Amino acid sequence: MIELHTPISDEDIRGLRVGDTVSISGWILCGRDAVLPKLLAMIEDGRLDELGVDLRGQVIFHTAVSPAGVGPTSSNKLEIESSIAPLSKAGIRLHLGKGELHPETVRALDEYGAVYAVIPPVTALLGAKTGETRVLAFPELGMEALHLIRADRYPAIIGAAHGRSIYEK
Amino acid sequence: MKNDIASLVRDTLVEAGSTFRADKKEAYRKAIENERSDRAKWVLQTILENAEAAEENRGPLCDDTGIPHLLLELGPERALTGRMLEQIREGVRQGLRKLPGRPMGILGDDCRRIDQSGGLDPDPAGVEPAPILIRNCEEDVLRLHILMFGGGPAIRAKTYRVFHKHDTRVVLDEIVKWATEGVAQLGCSPCTLGVGIGRSHYEAASLMLQALVDGKYGVQSDMEREITKRVNESNIGPLGLRGDTSVIATFLKVGPQRASGVRIVCVRPCCCFEPRIATVDLGE
Repeated sequence: MIELHTPISDEDIRGLRVGDTVSISGWILCGRDAVLPKLLAMIEDGRLDELGVDLRGQVIFHTAVSPAGVGPTSSNKLEIESSIAPLSKAGIRLHLGKGELHPETVRALDEYGAVYAVIPPVTALLGAKTGETRVLAFPELGMEALHLIRADRYPAIIGAAHGRSIYEK
Repeated sequence: MKNDIASLVRDTLVEAGSTFRADKKEAYRKAIENERSDRAKWVLQTILENAEAAEENRGPLCDDTGIPHLLLELGPERALTGRMLEQIREGVRQGLRKLPGRPMGILGDDCRRIDQSGGLDPDPAGVEPAPILIRNCEEDVLRLHILMFGGGPAIRAKTYRVFHKHDTRVVLDEIVKWATEGVAQLGCSPCTLGVGIGRSHYEAASLMLQALVDGKYGVQSDMEREITKRVNESNIGPLGLRGDTSVIATFLKVGPQRASGVRIVCVRPCCCFEPRIATVDLGE
């Protein structure tokens, strides 16, 4: 098990291979369908500093954050998968979710030095591994707002790295 | 008639959202034993550990706590009133608050509910249950089944017509094809496949729901066993990470059929936690 702590270094990313099991700890971002396009718009408008968080080395977990807990939604949903390339370009180093990504997304991850990890949808277990949670932006989206949460050894498997995918036939 | 229908329904909904039934746990144990991929075995064990933790905490198995789907069975001497239906709905509201359900009810008029611009109801009870399905049964009961339907399987499910060419195999081949595509895309396998075959889209979907209610992991028909086996040959595996266990079981219900060359088939690739189901007798 490879232990990763945020912010994740470029060196850490270079050492990861498809199929590696990792544990992820530290403050991580959470966002999904509704908020990711809004985050991209902030990047395009040059308003990222309003977030008060440096995206470089960060993890984004494709999940809602609600009293029910956290758990991955499908990363291949249109609005989520289309955020992976531009967010990697903006400094996100690890996208955490589930499901197969398209080849062009796998290539974009490699181009920008980021990886994709698959996390089992184990909300009850993740509850014991989740500390403080807070809304970072777009509170009107409720559970789909951009959240920051403290993760303690979230288990995951590297699903795409260096142009390879665990889902390759 | 028991007085506190709402409390019974509340606790049953919490059980549905937090508990694997005994036959499902056993099916997982068998799958872990038979799985040849270490990675797949790890995923299956983690899912089972999650189920044990959720049951102990009486908390959600998955953060997508789902949309309540209710099936009510009435014995020959049982009666159902509008007041009882309202008590059932009240129990659902209480259950969603207690679980707690994910607050994902969408506010606003028709247009705003479609594009989600009306915002979210912060109350978990703002998630309306689907219309209740009612059927007769021979036992002297007023039995309610509660199922919690997540969004992932809804994205990957399919209800469509199949030209059967007077050959059951043609329909089975199509079910296997749809299921294989759906399971591969789902990301939350291993699945339990819910399948209904009827005369209309409504009937096929309601048969699929009944199949999930009646299905038993330890009891599989020849057709159910064949569908499971053939989808598992695709090597999709748990979470799509390859392995022997893409599907744990298939629950299939064939309804009355029309004199026609067409069958309407509904296939729902239920995620690794589904069917999230619990049952209560609301009668005396």
